[in-house]
Amino acid sequence: MLKFLFEREQGLLDPLNLRRAESTRRTFALELSRHRDVEMTSQGAVNSIDIDLIESRYLLSGFSDGTAAIHDVVNQTGNVKYTCKVVCKIDRHNRYKHKTSIQSVCWYPLDTGIFTTSGTDKLLKVWDTNNLIPVDEYEFSGIVYQHDLSPVATKHCLIAVGCQSSRLKLVDLKSGASSHMLKGHQSSIYCVKWSPKDEFILASGGADNRVLLWDVRSAKGAMKVLDQYNGKAPSDNTTGNTAHHGAINGLTFTSDGLHLISYGTDNCIRLWDANSGKNCLINYGNVPNDTKKLVQLSVSNGCSPDVLFIPNRSNIDMFDVYSGEKIDRLKGHYNSVNCCKFHSPTQDVYSGGNDRNILIWTPDTDSSYDDHLKTQSELHVKESSADEVRTTRPTVMIDTWSSDEDD
Amino acid sequence: MSRKRTLMPEFYKKKKVCTESRNKVPITDAEREEVSRVPTDTEVYLMYFKNLFPLDKFEHRLPPMVLKHQLYSLNKNRTVVDKELNDLKNKGLIKIFKIGSEFDEYAVVFTEDYRCHVTRVMAEVSVPKSIADKFVNTIVKRCNDVYVNKDTLIKEYNFKDDDITQLLKATVLTNRTVGSWWLAVPNTGMFMKSLLRGRKAILTMIKKSKYKEILKNDLEQRKLPKMCRLGLTYHLQDIIGADLILSIQTTSGQLLRLKD
Repeated sequence: MLKFLFEREQGLLDPLNLRRAESTRRTFALELSRHRDVEMTSQGAVNSIDIDLIESRYLLSGFSDGTAAIHDVVNQTGNVKYTCKVVCKIDRHNRYKHKTSIQSVCWYPLDTGIFTTSGTDKLLKVWDTNNLIPVDEYEFSGIVYQHDLSPVATKHCLIAVGCQSSRLKLVDLKSGASSHMLKGHQSSIYCVKWSPKDEFILASGGADNRVLLWDVRSAKGAMKVLDQYNGKAPSDNTTGNTAHHGAINGLTFTSDGLHLISYGTDNCIRLWDANSGKNCLINYGNVPNDTKKLVQLSVSNGCSPDVLFIPNRSNIDMFDVYSGEKIDRLKGHYNSVNCCKFHSPTQDVYSGGNDRNILIWTPDTDSSYDDHLKTQSELHVKESSADEVRTTRPTVMIDTWSSDEDD
Repeated sequence: MSRKRTLMPEFYKKKKVCTESRNKVPITDAEREEVSRVPTDTEVYLMYFKNLFPLDKFEHRLPPMVLKHQLYSLNKNRTVVDKELNDLKNKGLIKIFKIGSEFDEYAVVFTEDYRCHVTRVMAEVSVPKSIADKFVNTIVKRCNDVYVNKDTLIKEYNFKDDDITQLLKATVLTNRTVGSWWLAVPNTGMFMKSLLRGRKAILTMIKKSKYKEILKNDLEQRKLPKMCRLGLTYHLQDIIGADLILSIQTTSGQLLRLKD
């Protein structure tokens, strides 16, 4: 580190290199946060989380009881200990909430005033964040497993929706109707993802073991059907190409959009070249996957090498994306993990699981820095507690045990 | 601290500077050629497993077969194994076959062995000589894929529908989906049967030992069940590679522990 700083001072090193080196070091040293946690809001499992693209500040989460919440993840109190507060939520009594479980949530990439949720009640809802009422609603023929909005789109405003039917639907936010129907899959579509590089490229994976790449401008059908064996046969829809030996329930692009990562119920992870559609033959080993619904993977941004975060039962595994080596395992959840999301400005990871918790994983800091923080916060507490002493004393007598029935 | 240090990215670790030797002799072309002829690790492992395969126990009715995941037990970096296998496959030295109903089980056979085997089997089941020759000259020599499509068979290799039926009869092709077939090794059933039985027998042996773990030396001294026709080493590498047991290095040798 000192060497890097020195070289930077002397102008021998590109500023980007220092930044990249440090963010990689921090990403490699992730562990369960000692100082921060997320306020619990719901009685349901966390099925999906998303962080807004504009400020990277608001964490949107969807729960299995149909509720959703938005947390503020930026600590502005000056105190080291911080609980991410709920900014607003769609609670159980909200009459517009999803009747059953929410499967996937997504921020509108250009504005935090809009977000979208979809779930097993076959509905996709577009919400107004400020009033917390749905401004638009779309009904589908089956359970909606995942929907996604393109993070780079400037020419269109389409939501890709993967649901229980074999047809991938694109919903246009401008006209408020389903504008495209993409035929190609043979059974339910578990995951859809827009490319972060090209606004018209879309990837989808489903229960028919196939991953399809689409160009939404072309009416001909899928652009590519990915083949795990890199066979010579043409990669169109006529051949029986498969990407996995089991259903695909996790898909993500790398942050530069050059590679696609798929995760299947055959316990395999595969890396694909997003341009040519070829299997890159990276072997990540056996990663058990026995869920029948969407698993949200995440890839780090701005690290070298990039790190892939994969929920693996009650742990999160970290892999080097381009060599397939396992870096670390994050242990902390009490039940299986459904989703994780990398927060690139601070190199944190947020994860949610069936144990109803959202956990924060932060880079492990040196113990001396920890001590410094502790003394700082003690000073802070002393200053502020001087006038609070009288008010806090009675709380000593109160029974701090709580039960679920109270709230 | 130790955990932190192991997780450091490469560029933060101290590197030993490579000092060039003073009397450096330039590499000649002949030497370079010699180096390029040295087989890769994967190729050496393949040869090793090939020699382990007990041909006589199957009355020479099978070519020497190596499982892909067996290689993983010798080389920890699976990506390297996969890439080197892919190179060998593209060079036409080996053929890879999908076997079993399990997800990711593949067998590796040297092309030369496969060719001999296929010719013999086709003669046995009286497939016309012309079809057999065509198969050997086209698919065995040129096709490096794991499966073939009807289109490729008919257009590229000039097979007719009847020919394909004959090939299916000789079980060099097996059904995959409508209009596509896996390439296959005839008589794989015999191999699979002994493989699965042997695997089960060894797993039972480990399961029944104390704490479900056993030293490899102790296991080798025990009487091998009759079911393990392929030999203990072959089976052990198969089980370790398939992630069914953990192999841990201890001061008194390799320890094998059953995974839960």
